[in-house]
Amino acid sequence: MPDFGTVASAIISGLLLGGMMGLIALGLSIVLGVMRLVNLAHGVFLVMGAYAGLYFLKYTGIDPLLALPLLALGIAALALPLYRYLLAPLAHRGPEAQLMTMFAVAIILQNLFVFTFSADTRSIERSYATLPLSLGTVTVPLIYVIGFAIAVALILAIHGLIAHTGFGRDLRASAADPAAAATLGVNVQRVQMLTFALGTACAGVGGILIGVAFQFSPSSGGAYLLNSLAIVVLGGLGNVLGTLAGGMILGLLQSLGGLTLGDGYRDIVGMALFLLVLVFRPEGFLAARRA
Amino acid sequence: MKQHRLIGDVGILAGGFALLWFAPSFASDYALQISFRVMIYLTLAESWNLLTGSVGLVSLGTASFVGLGSYVAFGLANHFGTPLPVILMICALAGALLATVVSPALFRLRGVYFTVGTLALAALLQLLMVNLPTFGGASGIFLKHDPPPLPSLYHYALSVALVTALAMAICARTRISVIIRAVRDDEDAAAQMGVRPYRVKLGAFALASALIAMAGAVQAINLGAIEPYGTFGLQWTIDTLSMVIIGGIGWRLGPLAGVLFVVALGEMLANYPEAHIAITGVILIVLIRFAPSGIVGLLTRLFTRPRRLSSP
Repeated sequence: MPDFGTVASAIISGLLLGGMMGLIALGLSIVLGVMRLVNLAHGVFLVMGAYAGLYFLKYTGIDPLLALPLLALGIAALALPLYRYLLAPLAHRGPEAQLMTMFAVAIILQNLFVFTFSADTRSIERSYATLPLSLGTVTVPLIYVIGFAIAVALILAIHGLIAHTGFGRDLRASAADPAAAATLGVNVQRVQMLTFALGTACAGVGGILIGVAFQFSPSSGGAYLLNSLAIVVLGGLGNVLGTLAGGMILGLLQSLGGLTLGDGYRDIVGMALFLLVLVFRPEGFLAARRA
Repeated sequence: MKQHRLIGDVGILAGGFALLWFAPSFASDYALQISFRVMIYLTLAESWNLLTGSVGLVSLGTASFVGLGSYVAFGLANHFGTPLPVILMICALAGALLATVVSPALFRLRGVYFTVGTLALAALLQLLMVNLPTFGGASGIFLKHDPPPLPSLYHYALSVALVTALAMAICARTRISVIIRAVRDDEDAAAQMGVRPYRVKLGAFALASALIAMAGAVQAINLGAIEPYGTFGLQWTIDTLSMVIIGGIGWRLGPLAGVLFVVALGEMLANYPEAHIAITGVILIVLIRFAPSGIVGLLTRLFTRPRRLSSP
């Protein structure tokens, strides 16, 4: 039986990591809410962010966490042509065409990463990433606390953006009823494009945090995509703060699953939770149409 | 009218089957390996075409049922020495059973949620196999006895493909086709007409899953060893989806055209696996955008344009 310190450390680590997962899932959630698109390339965008952070550090020597706004803008800018040339032309062809296009984008990028960066496991090496933060018998990695703080700050900022700005009003209108919003003078396509860029930036920033805290490889994206889906279902689509809560719940359950059953079961907890929520509380997906 | 067409289809299939049965007596080992792969892929693609093209359920869970068939087949062969025909029947039952068990979750929501649910199912099963030592863990399982020789396995793959093609002929040439189309086009309207959409979707999902599990079993026995990353790998899902989209989704001959194209492309790029997948991805994007009805759709339009007043 593990002692109190181990259990408490696992619980707190899980909650902190869950906050970072919440930011990643929020990107998926807003794209799903506004564009009705399950972005199957979301996990690959995360890996792209991690590589961007890795090579930014390598060539400039500047800590990628300090340059987050710049990197986020760069990743968001990459999403614009994807929307403009791949997704927008398919907007009237039902959700499947866009879904399968993003699936194709995901497999192209993933193999491009293998080709360019090799299939090796990498991480963004920072000295503080391995430092422990102790309070009595409870010990958590310092980077989890830093990542959690950044993620929560960004989630609150996005919440403010959606709830209190003109763009947020347009976004909520486009999510609720694109046709009606367009009639009222909202440029729905522009809103969708910016939402897609924002969602991609969430994945990219999440990828930089993950890249500093953990290891990653070109094929790491799949597990993050599926965990994000579980979080979106848990938190309720379109509920920004619910996504943060959903992330922390998933992080907690994964930590407990890893502690009791073994580390390999962390991701199983996510998938199983996702399918269970689909059976028992599907309205988590559809009820709240607010974005 | 439709009865005649069904009889015609069955005649063509029986003739093709009889001809291909004798392939091992004149084909080289290489040609036979390729033919084996074509038969396996054809089964996967036809099943996916039924599910996605005809019923409108976009599945990203092909790997779940390939993997299920592989593990059930190895379990039966290693522990009970079950003969292969019986193994295939049990695999079909297992595939239909798994589809039935997960359908309450997957059908709960329409459209894209079915899609992400099937993707999560494949990931869940893969992780379970990796972590449960009973199933060999990450290193997988070896077949204890020598597998049957290639010509014999080819005959099994051909037979599974024939069963698949017959099932598709029945779905396309009888009243079932009308029911399936009604459900795809408008579930609510179909329900008003006395069709039960849930049963139709479940039937198609169970049938497709049973066929895919059989293909997975034959494929795994040909390999002689299985491990979770390969058997439950996303590659099966990517291959199946791209073959049908390239060939022509929803068209009877779409899967065949797509399988031949993808297998040929794979042979040409055999030494560049990353490039192969990336090129497949590019082809998918271009086709989805500019030719959503694939090779068969393009050819049909090319040859029937003068007589057709409106495009489909």
